[in-house]
Amino acid sequence: MKKKYALFPGCLMPTEQYAYELSIRETLPLLGVELVDVEGFSCCGEPMKSVNQLLTLYLSARNLAIAEKHHLDLFVPCAMCHLALTECQYILEKNPAMMERINGMLAAEDLKYTEKRHIAHTVDLLYDEIGIEKIKEQVKKPLHGLKIAAHYGCHILRPSEIGRIDDSENPQKIEAILKVLGAEPVNYPQKLDCCGAPLLTNLPESALTKTGQKLQAIQEQGIQAMVDVCPWCHKMFDSRQTKAGETVAAKLDVPVLYLTQLLGLAMGISSEKLGLELNLSPVQKLQEGGAK
Amino acid sequence: MSIIDLTSMGEPQSDLRKELNDRLTKLQDEISEYCFQCGKCTSGCEAHKLLELEPHKIVALLKRGLINELVNADVIWTCMTCLKCRERCPQRVAPVEILFALKNMAVASGKQIPGKYTGMLQSILSIGLIQDIQQTTTRSNKPVKRDELSLPPLSKPTDVAKFQAGIMKIAMEKV
Repeated sequence: MKKKYALFPGCLMPTEQYAYELSIRETLPLLGVELVDVEGFSCCGEPMKSVNQLLTLYLSARNLAIAEKHHLDLFVPCAMCHLALTECQYILEKNPAMMERINGMLAAEDLKYTEKRHIAHTVDLLYDEIGIEKIKEQVKKPLHGLKIAAHYGCHILRPSEIGRIDDSENPQKIEAILKVLGAEPVNYPQKLDCCGAPLLTNLPESALTKTGQKLQAIQEQGIQAMVDVCPWCHKMFDSRQTKAGETVAAKLDVPVLYLTQLLGLAMGISSEKLGLELNLSPVQKLQEGGAK
Repeated sequence: MSIIDLTSMGEPQSDLRKELNDRLTKLQDEISEYCFQCGKCTSGCEAHKLLELEPHKIVALLKRGLINELVNADVIWTCMTCLKCRERCPQRVAPVEILFALKNMAVASGKQIPGKYTGMLQSILSIGLIQDIQQTTTRSNKPVKRDELSLPPLSKPTDVAKFQAGIMKIAMEKV
């Protein structure tokens, strides 16, 4: 049976992190997921939480109400968006007065939030809904023991109180997916460290230092590549890797891929279709090493 | 409508400040009952080593009612929102939520908002997203834009006037 989802793109993925969107649109339909493009979505609100939390809540509820109007569950590939939308549902369920207040504002756009819908992220969609067995059937070019560090990102793991996608202290779903692709997930002490992206807005140097520290640790442990599942994390680890290296006085050379890109490679999809030329980290090292 | 309505950089929003003050007072009461300064939040804090954020001290200062001092402190803007403090607190105190409330209060009190927050907010108001389509490059420095990648059109508010009217209600409510 096909699983049908509204693709909630957010801001960052559709305006600059094109490789994530390309690889999502290439891989998920082959695994039985139908992605529906819906008009009218806006920012999830999460980037505005430090400025005005009510604005965050309003924007999240607005997007949920749009999905509700189309009777669709949501697939939310960005960790930040996934947190904002899930938290909004959690708050509105618990606080009917707030729901009424938000709906009063949503009326300006003829929208209304009334009920909880399923909000999936890339990792739980692959692991819990599609399932390891189904992924296994699609693996045509196994990754032959490629040593990979999984980076989950903070916002899909915490706070577990509102329902997140994996165990907050010992997540293993990405590792399970990597194994079925033929890769070798590596446990490393910095696994739960933040990418630094939330500080990009006001303390960019410090943000890049966080990025650099984590990548440096991965490099020193001889891990061959890193996978991530959030456009913010990827912007830090891949797009800005060279700059991040400067903050820790290291020449960083770590291939960083979206999990969906690696999945696509293992499924035999061409690197061009998966947007691999858009990765600014040295992913060609993997292709030279036979991971193609 | 302008950004000033939402951030009150022009005139301080007294109702918004009152609501935030109520939220902070409520948090203060809860903390006084629960936090015993074990320091678990600070031990896991992503901003601790790098930027000297000490969530347990933020909690201790709020417990003593030093809201103004906290609102004026630069250190509240160093939080990376990793949420480890909230996750790991044995007493279910959430320093990250206190920091959000303090930052909201700083904004509502008309303090200068650091970094690019203002620009992002302006972008949300005009197109619904924190930024418009960007030109990126490939590893071999070839410029690329969304429409060259056969991706569907960007999803964003179709009727911007109506979208702004919704957000305007937040400003008018002076929440």
